[in-house]
Amino acid sequence: MSILSYNGAAIMAMKGKNCVAIAADRRFGIQAQTVSMDFDKVFEMGPNLFIGLPGLATDVQTVLARLKFRLNMYELRENRRIKPKTFMSMVSNLLYERRFGPYFVEPVIAGLDPKSGEPYIASMDLIGCPMETNDFVVSGTCSEQMYGMCESLWEPDLAPDDLFETISQALMNAFDRDAVSGWGAVVYIIEKDKVTKRMLKTRQD
Amino acid sequence: MALADVCGFKLGNEHSYFGPCAEGEMGMPTLKDALRMSESFTFPCGVNLQRDINTAFTSDDSKVKIQFDHGTTTLAFKFQHGVIVAVDSRATAGPSIESQTVKKVIEINPYLLGTMAGGAADCMYWERVLASQCRVYELRNKERISVAAASKLLANIVYDYKGMGLSMGTMIVGWDKKGPALYYVDSDGERLVGHMFSVGSGSVYAYGVLDSDYRWDLTQEEAYDLGRRAIYHATHRDAYSGGVVNLYHMKETGWEKISQTDTAELHYQYKAEKEKKGKK
Repeated sequence: MSILSYNGAAIMAMKGKNCVAIAADRRFGIQAQTVSMDFDKVFEMGPNLFIGLPGLATDVQTVLARLKFRLNMYELRENRRIKPKTFMSMVSNLLYERRFGPYFVEPVIAGLDPKSGEPYIASMDLIGCPMETNDFVVSGTCSEQMYGMCESLWEPDLAPDDLFETISQALMNAFDRDAVSGWGAVVYIIEKDKVTKRMLKTRQD
Repeated sequence: MALADVCGFKLGNEHSYFGPCAEGEMGMPTLKDALRMSESFTFPCGVNLQRDINTAFTSDDSKVKIQFDHGTTTLAFKFQHGVIVAVDSRATAGPSIESQTVKKVIEINPYLLGTMAGGAADCMYWERVLASQCRVYELRNKERISVAAASKLLANIVYDYKGMGLSMGTMIVGWDKKGPALYYVDSDGERLVGHMFSVGSGSVYAYGVLDSDYRWDLTQEEAYDLGRRAIYHATHRDAYSGGVVNLYHMKETGWEKISQTDTAELHYQYKAEKEKKGKK
């Protein structure tokens, strides 16, 4: 059994018109057994900056804690909010430090630039190789299914409500084809002035 | 045979990859071969069947590992009005869900049902072989085969392939002269008689629900609800079970398919019932 599919997860992020969306499933399981259905995998790192951490659950919590520490130190020293692109480099550095004994997480970052409001999304492999795109990023045990759904449903310059529909349908239909992810979903729509968090009603099997 | 010469193909080649098996020889294809070939399994040449075939296809570090459709929850229990059979409908190959609409109850004949757990192909194929053997028995003896005999036939058939990697955990359910009958048969050659079984990766969850509420004198409706609920709870907790719940009732007059309910529907229905109870 692969370590990255021991707990199971499905996370994706999409760019829209002056907004970004990030969505994740909510299952925490140990191989076949589902233990809880309210496990958070997407975390707020700033007013308009979110990171999604799929992979081994223990590393999700450890990376979150270490990252929050580094982020707090940055904000204290610089006396300002971090830019998404810089944050991506910070995550990449944290993961590469463990090149020969990695954290088993493959993060997804979504946010808006604090000054210009420019949307930004990126994903990374478990040793920190960054990938910035202009459409969508996916990560998790059903990444093949998610790529298929995103490729067919995404189109550029979606308004926040349309982006919500698109990302919800893409995520739900992808994890309905994966045995180890699902059991509920949470979607964040990040706009310049507000962040909307919605839970989806999904299949619970 | 100009084309054969051009391709370098020699008929009756002794070094053909598939050597002679028990009934036929692969070389010059004949009509007789084509008719008889389906009756026996061809095996690769020079291979120790029990040891090599199974490990080649199923061991984790094998280069040719086959990902069988596995993972399921099936259950059956006897009660005063017959036997209830309830199954889920998900087929998974590794972590990927291949289908949510698999028929895991195999209708062997109008008064015999078999359930599918383990390798989907193995169950389907051998239960179909069982169906033909049951029919032959009927023709020879002018009476229906007993469930004990049918389950024994299946157990003996798969015993010949023990160790070769067949994966099958099935329950044979029927109603014969002795009344309702329930047998568990698996590919290890195990055959057990009992009044309640649950088979598959989600069986542990189903047993919990079944054991809490089972009684011999359940009413029909209570029994249907128990079967559905047990499968639902298994699909909720087990990653490899899901889809719809197919419910069958084995009566004296034969089996009847009672319902097919989506587990998503069941989840929100039970949730609403719980909330109503809580408000009281």
